[in-house]
Amino acid sequence: MRALGKAASDDDRPLIERVRRGDQDAARTLYERYFDRIYNYVYARLGRAEDAEDLAIDTMTRSLTRLDLFQDQGVAFSSWVYRIAHNATIDHYRRHGKVTLVPLDDATLPQSADPSELAMEQLSNEDLRLALRDLTDEQQQVLILRFFQDLTAAQVAGIMGKSVGAVQALQHRALGSLERALQGRAEN
Amino acid sequence: MEALAERLRTVEPMAPSPAAKIRGWNLVSAAVQQSATVRSRGHSVKRLVLAAVAAAVLLVGGAVAASADSLPDSALYPIKGVVEQVRGALAFSPSDQLTYHLELAQTRLTEAEAMIARHRLDLASQALSAMDDQLGDAAALVKAEKGTDPAIAADLENRLLQAIATHDGQLARLQGQVTNPAAQSAILKARDRAAQAVQVAQTSNNNGNPSPNGKGSGNASASPHPTPKH
Repeated sequence: MRALGKAASDDDRPLIERVRRGDQDAARTLYERYFDRIYNYVYARLGRAEDAEDLAIDTMTRSLTRLDLFQDQGVAFSSWVYRIAHNATIDHYRRHGKVTLVPLDDATLPQSADPSELAMEQLSNEDLRLALRDLTDEQQQVLILRFFQDLTAAQVAGIMGKSVGAVQALQHRALGSLERALQGRAEN
Repeated sequence: MEALAERLRTVEPMAPSPAAKIRGWNLVSAAVQQSATVRSRGHSVKRLVLAAVAAAVLLVGGAVAASADSLPDSALYPIKGVVEQVRGALAFSPSDQLTYHLELAQTRLTEAEAMIARHRLDLASQALSAMDDQLGDAAALVKAEKGTDPAIAADLENRLLQAIATHDGQLARLQGQVTNPAAQSAILKARDRAAQAVQVAQTSNNNGNPSPNGKGSGNASASPHPTPKH
């Protein structure tokens, strides 16, 4: 069962104003609202719990201490937080290289080489997570946000700075790439 | 591909360890506190600068003091406007800002009464218009505060409604005393604009919809004689 909670909305705005005045309770509420979601997002990108924790903490610190910058962004707070998380992930890639740190041997790979015959329910979550990291940065982002984070295409469009149509097209291509990635892993 | 999309939806989210969450909050909390302290210092410096400027202006001399009770037909009246602007710059909290706007609205009303008594209808009309500008600013302040702190906003709204009710009573009496049609028209217009300020103040600030109490901009029959909440 998913337990990430609903995406943020205008509910955040009164809290943001209070955080600007140094209100710790409001900061705590926003932290509780977003930390798990951001951790999950970063973990899906990096695959290492330690790195995901550090980046999620870094993202929340930046989000809640640079609210003066948020005022000028003209986007929802949730979109802003995801953008910070995305940028932190990119920075991490630059510093450490984009590598898959979970050994492939640990994954339970599907036996069939034909994607049309793959029994999706037989794929382990780890299979999917590993194959996901073979995709391009944008393809990973759109699939994680749409399916792991349960965001709508419009919300993802706001985060990625694209139109809804572009997000839908990107999602279609990303699913195709993921199928091929799973197929490639099954063949190896 | 549909099956793959559905399968992705069932992937269980990864949860951070409780220890990481606690460590994260400790770091975030400290950073938020530090950030608020830095901002507070910045505001303090701003206040000091403004206070110094205000002191310099207030020390200009007796002209300033003498201008306090000046009327629109007085040579000292422009100085009064400068002093009022300085006072406005020193009103920081929403409560102080509301007090500032309400006091200025009352001052303008008093000036309008004096100008009507002196048959200076042009200046009276300007004073009434300035009074309504202040009430409009006060209403906008209340509306903005609703998105920030509803409790404070409720208190500000009540104070504004009380003030407008008082002003409306004064205007109604004045309207009954004057016979000049132009003066009556100016007073009536001022009462209408004050009623509009009431509507603005009673509107929620998120999308311009009326507040849940049923009053607000959508209520075309809103009374021009506002009654404060008790």
